[in-house]
Amino acid sequence: MSKTIFIVEDDLFLQGLEATKLKKEGFSVITAGSGKDVSDIIAKKPTIDLILLDLMLPDMDGFEILKMIRKESSFLNTPVIVFSNLSEDKDIEKAKSVGITEFMIKSNFNLDELTDKVRELIGK
Amino acid sequence: MDKDTEIKSLQDKIEKLTKLQSIRSDIVSVSAHQIRTSLSALKWVIKMFMDGDLGKLNAEQENLLKKAYEDNDRAISVVTELLQANKAEDVIEKPYAFTEVNIIELIENSIFDFSGEALARKVEIIFLKPETRLPTVNIDKDKFRVVLQNLLENAIKYSNPNSKVFIALREKNNFIEISVKDRGIGISEEGKKSIFQKFYRDTTAQKKESLGSGIGLFTTKKIVEDHSGKIWFESTENEGSTFFVTIPSFKENT
Repeated sequence: MSKTIFIVEDDLFLQGLEATKLKKEGFSVITAGSGKDVSDIIAKKPTIDLILLDLMLPDMDGFEILKMIRKESSFLNTPVIVFSNLSEDKDIEKAKSVGITEFMIKSNFNLDELTDKVRELIGK
Repeated sequence: MDKDTEIKSLQDKIEKLTKLQSIRSDIVSVSAHQIRTSLSALKWVIKMFMDGDLGKLNAEQENLLKKAYEDNDRAISVVTELLQANKAEDVIEKPYAFTEVNIIELIENSIFDFSGEALARKVEIIFLKPETRLPTVNIDKDKFRVVLQNLLENAIKYSNPNSKVFIALREKNNFIEISVKDRGIGISEEGKKSIFQKFYRDTTAQKKESLGSGIGLFTTKKIVEDHSGKIWFESTENEGSTFFVTIPSFKENT
């Protein structure tokens, strides 16, 4: 069975590109564009192997979203890649303190490199 | 105008300027974030075309897209440079606030700041921690972080891909010495004389990275010296550079 990536990204164009790429590489994808979407989705307790998390969303910031996700015991240890264009020290420090697995700045990577990182963390 | 009125008027001006500076900095930060997002989308789409995900390209199309990709990457570097200059300015503007700091932890955090950049440039950062326990240091944490960031950033930026950057730490005669070593392009003989000057960029650096403000090492030196420390380097062109920083170690009065 293919692994599932939960993409949390409010920019629908970027979200679409990320989803297309990951699907093409054989992953299943669930998407959310806001904190509310995330809350609705996790209530259904889907199987998620990795979370790709943007930090700036319209109704909540990424850290609040992560806190919400982690409250659900089945997502307590799910790897999280923060995929954002924020790169302030305070954001990186905060990300580290809440136990994210990787911090990647979107503009520094192309989607092949993102896919490689996903594979490195959870396999194919 | 009497003296008191003059002082009051100057204080008002300082307050106004500080406010303006903070607004300006926020505008830069938010705009840069938005521009980066658009540039990321462009980067990914161009790459999809280049990889043939949307159909096979002819040689001319491929060539043009490659140029567009490189140009886009240059624009991303400009924005990154702008964000860094903005951030450094914010930190430097603030008055010094010295506290007792665990330097190992601060270095580890700075390395984490650059883990993405290092990964993107295929450079490995290795932290050679001392075997013995080090005393804490009395520093301005935010400002000193800029020092570590600038040194690490340069080491990564001017390294060759698939090489390593070593950061080491030791105590020597009541000083803590930090060294950052790369196997990169090194500094030219001419550059060695001027590398700490404001806006100066070495020719070797310009060849490798056309963009750069030339304020990183200038700022770094100023912050180190404000900590009663010293900064110097050893470098050979085409072989690499090592930057050394020493700051007094913190000893409690007993």
